[in-house]
Parts: sequence; C-alpha cells; structure tokens
Amino acid sequence: MIDAIRAELIKMRSMPGVWVTFALGFPLAVLIVLAVLANAGGFPGHTFYYVESLKQRRELLGAGYFACEVLAPILGVLCVTGEYRHKTMTTTFVLRPIRSQVLLAKVAVTALWSVLLALLTLVAVAAVGLPWNAALGGVTSQVTDQIGAVVPGLLVSAILLGLFGLGFGTLVKNQIAAILLTIGGTLILESILIALAHAIFHYDLNWLPNAAGAALAGDIARGFGGGGRGAGFHLLTWWQGGLVMLAWGLIPLTIGFFTTFRRDVT
Amino acid sequence: MTAGAPSRGLPIEFSGLSKHFGTVRAVDDLSFTVQPGRVTGFLGPNGSGKTTTLRMLLGLVHPSAGTATIGGQAYQELPNPTSTVGAVLEATSFHPARRARTHVRMAAAAGGHDAKRADEVLELVGLSADAKRKVGGFSMGMRQRLELATALVGDPDVLILDEPSNGLDPQGIAWLRDFMRYLAGEGRTVLVSSHLLAEMAQTIDDAVIVSFGQLKAQGTLEQITAGMTSMVMRARTPEADRLTGVLDGAHISYRRLSNEEVAMDGVTPEQVGPLLATNQIVLYELTQEGADLERVFLSLTSGLGFGEVGHGNDGSPPPDAGGTGGTSEAAPAQ
Repeated sequence: MIDAIRAELIKMRSMPGVWVTFALGFPLAVLIVLAVLANAGGFPGHTFYYVESLKQRRELLGAGYFACEVLAPILGVLCVTGEYRHKTMTTTFVLRPIRSQVLLAKVAVTALWSVLLALLTLVAVAAVGLPWNAALGGVTSQVTDQIGAVVPGLLVSAILLGLFGLGFGTLVKNQIAAILLTIGGTLILESILIALAHAIFHYDLNWLPNAAGAALAGDIARGFGGGGRGAGFHLLTWWQGGLVMLAWGLIPLTIGFFTTFRRDVT
Repeated sequence: MTAGAPSRGLPIEFSGLSKHFGTVRAVDDLSFTVQPGRVTGFLGPNGSGKTTTLRMLLGLVHPSAGTATIGGQAYQELPNPTSTVGAVLEATSFHPARRARTHVRMAAAAGGHDAKRADEVLELVGLSADAKRKVGGFSMGMRQRLELATALVGDPDVLILDEPSNGLDPQGIAWLRDFMRYLAGEGRTVLVSSHLLAEMAQTIDDAVIVSFGQLKAQGTLEQITAGMTSMVMRARTPEADRLTGVLDGAHISYRRLSNEEVAMDGVTPEQVGPLLATNQIVLYELTQEGADLERVFLSLTSGLGFGEVGHGNDGSPPPDAGGTGGTSEAAPAQ
C-alpha cells in the first residue's frame, strides 16, 4: 500500500495542472484576506480596517477556506481523471492490479495535497493578512488565538473537499466535465438551489457540499456571495457538516469504484 | 528451452478463456500454454482477440469464462506482480509532461523497487540520454522503448509484449528482436503478439495462431511450417480441367486458382510428379509452395483450416477449424 501511495505521489507532483491549481491557493487566499479587511470596518469597498470581532478574526485566519473550496476538489479530480485523459490507467492497473489499493492510494494522496493546499493558504494569511491587519492597527495575537478554533476545521474541510472531487472524478471520467460538475455545482448551482429553497419553501438546504463544508469549517468564510446563504440561514453543526461532507466524498467514490473504476480497461 | 538457459521463467496457461462483448465473441474458449525460456509468438490478424487475451491475462479485462494464469496464479494474485511479469501493451500511453525517468521511477515505486532501478532499465533500452526529456516529445519508437523499460523495472520472469514492433524503425526492430532473444536466453518466458509475420519468423521459437478468437495452431515454428511443407503444390498447366479430374480420381484435395493454376493440398512432389507423368499432363510449372510462417498464417486465418482445405472447389471453412482447448504440441489445432 505504501508503494502505491509513493507512485501516486510521484504522479501528482509530475502533473503541471496540479501545481497550477495548488499555486492558485495563495492569491485566492490573499483575495479573501483583502475582502475580509475591506469589510471589517462596516463600510464595504470604502476602506480597509483591522478585524475586531470574533467572527472577523476567524474569517481572517480562515481566509483560505474559499481557496480550498474551489481548488481542493480540482486536485481530487485531477488525481483520477488525469489517468483517463492521458490513458495511463492501463499502466497503473498493470503495476498495481488490485484496483481498490490504487483508489485508496489516490484517497491518501488527494488528502495530503489538500492539506498542503490548506497550509499554503495559511501561509498566505500569515504573510499578508496578519501583517496587513497589524499595520491597520489590529492585534495579531487576537487573531492567532483562534488557530485552535479555525485551523483543524480548515484542514479537515480541505481533505473532505478533495475527496469530494476525487469521488466525482472517479464517477465522471471526463476531466473537464468533472471539474465543471464539482466547481460549478458547488459554487453556482448550489447557491441558486439554496436561495430558491430558502425563498420559496423557507427551507435551509444546509446539507449540500458547500454549506456542509462551511459548517465544518465553523462558517469562517463564505466566499464571494455567501454561497446563497443569507441572514438567518442555519448551518449544520461542525460535526454534522463533517459527516455530510464525508458522505459527499464517499458516495460518488464508492459508486465510481464499482462502476467506472472496475470496468474493463480495453 | 534455449540450450543452457537458466530456468527462471514461469509458464503461462490459458484454459477455456472466453470474452464476449455483447454478441461478439472476441475470444472463444482459448487454451494454450507458453513455456519458459522461449520466445512465443502470439499471432493473428487484426481483431482476432490477441490484445483482449493479453489484457485478460493481466487482469485488465474480466473473462466471460475460463482462466489465464502465470505460474499457476492469476495476475492479481501474484505476491509481487512487477517482479513476476513485465508487460508492454498496445495503445498504452504516458503523461506527456512527465519525464522519462520520472515515469519509470513511478513504476519502480509502484512495484516497490529501488528508484535507482529506473536508470538501469533506461540504460538497458538505450534511453539514458533522453531520461530527463518529457515523454510528450518522444517518437513512437522511443515510447516503445520507454514502455519496455517500464516493463523491465521489476526484472520480471515473464515478458508480455503486445505488438511491440509498432512504430519501430528497422534498427529498432532488429534491436527488439535481439533483446527478446536475449531475455529468453536468460530463461524468461517471452510472449509476443504481432501481425508482422516476417519479423516474427526471425524471432520466435514457438507460435500460437489465432483467428476470430479461436486457436488455429500451436507448436514450434518448425512443427508448424514443416506441416505446411507437404501441404501445397502449385501446378500451372494448359490442361487444368484434366488435372482436376485426375486429382479427383486420386482423392487429392485441390483449389482452382485460375484457368491454368491449381493448388494441391496435402501432397508432396514425390506423390504429384509420378501421377502427372502417368497421366501425361502438360506442365508449365510445378512449384512447392514456400513453407513460411506467413503462408501457414494466411492458410489458417483465411477460414481454410489446416489440413482441412476444401475438397474439390469447396473453399468453405471447416466445421471445427477453431480447435477449442487444444494445447498439444501438434502444429494444427484439431
């Protein structure tokens, strides 16, 4: 199993698309830092202000969540659809004929890259967000005090979001389609569905991936537009969000394994 | 086995192997054994089921029936597959942005082998100088060599090569031929599929011929071509009609090739010569057909069963030309 993971690590780190996706984590996190500081003073778009409230401090520290929400699923998708796109699955299955081991190795590697992505966003916060906040008059220790409350949720969210992408990649072999389904589905379709369900049925669709991930991460950042979740929207508890996210990853992964992954490689 | 070759290979055994894609029988009750220390050619026309058979052997395609084993074990059950079997499959590909060395190192990692092994096999296949190049810039021949390097990374006892000559230039083909002979000389089992018969004839010790997914013949190259030597005599005569009458009387199978040409099957020059002389048939030409692999192949895969060529002008396929389950050493599948 360790050998399979080593092989998958080599594959991932030799794919340019993975590095591009990974590298985007830094600027995306900086963008959210910018958005948090721009909104901190209560005059959006007018001036930057240091974070003060507990919610703002957590949002600054967890500014990378939006980057993870967008990019971790892409890492998962790339991990498996790259094989189909470049027709390397034959070699993979010849080298490791027990296919469940290949899939487990991909799970492990996707989780690892997702954690690295989350850590990269934390670096962005540390390198840009905290100094900027301090320059605006904020107290850095008041932000870093929230590490225990924010970082574990951020890391676990990133892992589960990566698995969510891996699951869709296993189910939908076409790389472009899988990326569009995961990203378009969570960022666009989910926002629309949540807004519609709330407006028409007064029902909080809080078990969809984006909302469940936000619950797990402590609602630290809602990204641009708030994911369709307006005021009064009830998120799941963090552990409920975690379980729902796990299901969003495992269900397509399991279906994909028993359908596309186990099919004949002709 | 090649004389003096150490016994490190494993036999490959196909038993009643079948694969149906809907109503299409890609492989139909195929049974044969491949012996270590020899290069065995797995021959058949395009679409005859060679690739599907090899993919079933490697666990890539699930058989509809039957088994394919290496040393008595299914590929998926081998404790260390890459140390046992190396495979070069047709239509496999590489990530174009990956460097050759990275690709082989990935294969080494997957098989639990030392990363240094990558450089060794790249040198073995003559790709050391290109190890740091991205595979996207490789020619077809270089890709074939890289695929071979990947197959060899575990120093396997069994080599399976599916159309390995595709895309190789003449030098590359000659190199591959020597390489396969070298590997078999070490006692390894080498199974190579191809439809390039002239090339295979210079390389293989044994041949397995398939058509429409069915076994047509198996044996050593000598057995198969020797069987053909006595089979076809071609006569060119202005008295073709009278000749066919004589052949009917002598119960000799024949095919009318043209107004002046008749091919006689299952006979030797010693049988035909006196018969024609006795009947005073004018001959322009009497030729014993070349006993090469290509002729055997064409005879077997055109629907005319070996030794069962239509009597008279009947060129229809024999009812049981497929030879199901025959693994005997005799050349034609019965």
